[in-house]
Amino acid sequence: MSHWASFVADLLDQLPLILTGLYQTLLLAAIVSVTGLALGIVVLHLEGSHRRLVRVIVRGYISFFVGTPLLVLLFLMYYGLPRIGLVMTPFAVALIGFTLNVAAYNAAYLGTARNALDPAELEAARAQGFSERQVFFLIMLPQVLRMSIPALTNQVILNLKDTSIAFLIQYTEFFARMQELAATNFQFFKAYAVTAAVYLALVSIIVLVARVVEKRFLLPGSYTPS
Amino acid sequence: MALLEVRDLVKRFGETTILNGVNLRVQKGEVKVVMGRSGSGKSTLLRCINRLEEPTSGSIRLHDREVTGPSVDIRALRRSVGFVFQQFALYRHLSVLDNVTLALRHLGGLRRNEAEEKARHELARVDMTEHRHKFPAELSGGQKQRVALARALAMDPDVVFFDEPTSALDPLMCREVAILINRLFVDGVTVLCVTHDLTLARLISDRVIFLDRGRVCAEDAIENLSSGHADPRVQEFFGQEASGR
Ligand SMILES: Nc1ncnc2c1ncn2[C@@H]1O[C@H](COP(=O)(O)OP(=O)(O)OP(=O)(O)O)[C@@H](O)[C@H]1O
Ligand SMILES: [Mg+2]
Repeated sequence: MSHWASFVADLLDQLPLILTGLYQTLLLAAIVSVTGLALGIVVLHLEGSHRRLVRVIVRGYISFFVGTPLLVLLFLMYYGLPRIGLVMTPFAVALIGFTLNVAAYNAAYLGTARNALDPAELEAARAQGFSERQVFFLIMLPQVLRMSIPALTNQVILNLKDTSIAFLIQYTEFFARMQELAATNFQFFKAYAVTAAVYLALVSIIVLVARVVEKRFLLPGSYTPS
Repeated sequence: MALLEVRDLVKRFGETTILNGVNLRVQKGEVKVVMGRSGSGKSTLLRCINRLEEPTSGSIRLHDREVTGPSVDIRALRRSVGFVFQQFALYRHLSVLDNVTLALRHLGGLRRNEAEEKARHELARVDMTEHRHKFPAELSGGQKQRVALARALAMDPDVVFFDEPTSALDPLMCREVAILINRLFVDGVTVLCVTHDLTLARLISDRVIFLDRGRVCAEDAIENLSSGHADPRVQEFFGQEASGR
């Protein structure tokens, strides 16, 4: 019991730092979830371009970021770029790296959903006189987003969990703080069990919110893209 | 002067010629029916007129203005043509009301409440007011078609195209569709309807155009086409369809 007492004492002692770390984690996860979705939508839009070159570049972008480990990318930016004179804060590196990576995944999910659209609806919209941009924003995107809610939710969960690798580029988020806690009292098991429990709790909240969102925005009479 | 005049319209897909010099006139307020076998190019004809397909050559004049050629405002042309598709193609993420208001708001520049008022008027015309809050997935085929028609009418088009209005419906719905189109006729709406449904053709128009091998090969009253027409292919089509029913 005394082990627990000392652990809790240390925990409370470092609580301000841990909460700051938790804030950093949530901040990064929230921002890259938004920027990653926004850029993913831009990429989806460009993927439908009538210019072949644009489509080739977009495909290349998706393949590159889906095919490279995020950590390698972060290291490249944080440790590699200063060699050519470009120094960025850990937060900036994490923000850019995560956004590029997450957007590539989101664009791939959204692209899959787009393939499940009814081409007749898009043609009906063109026949009404809508521009390509209007067809995208008024017909395609609303349907594609709704069909992609499960995949996009998964991505938000991954974002939250993956921010834990950002400590490797000196971004002091929640996991980094918990490692410090573990290092002060050598109670690794307790420290990491608490860490896991906190992540699990946060993920559960995301899942619950996603269920509500999905119910609210489910496509009426929707087919599930297989 | 005809509202719509198609002259020597040719459409090729690669090597295959689908339309080989089609001539057609639609007067204002007229209900024009074009018939032909499956694959004879009926849909292609409609799609060329509003430039969903690019005509290979020929002339299409709407209100005496040429609408082929690169300098034409295609989106303006399409706004003036209402299109009721074979499969209706309603926007599945939008309610019935929003299906009709979408173009009014984003192309017609109306505010939401103005657009909804106009949409309610169009939905009333096709007896769909009470279903306005439903979604396409909650409608029957016939109801979807009515919404598709209300959507097409909302922008006050110069002409409304129907592509096979009965083919996706129960055969018993034919009469309902005819009533709907006849109502448009009474309201002075110009209609160009392509179909291979002879029953429908009889109910909505006295004269029909017969499209075959990429050309208009007859334009006459249905009775004249089904008995003793000079062209055996015309006789075959109208004779068969008539006895098949
Ligand atoms: N985009 C296209 N590329 C190549 N061929 C096409 C294309 N669209 C249509 N066709 C061909 O043109 C011919 C006419 O097609 P269309 O759809 O106009 O016929 P239709 O008279 O409407 O037939 P249905 O009664 O079955 O609807 C068909 O043989 C079809 O295969
Ligand atoms: Mg057709």
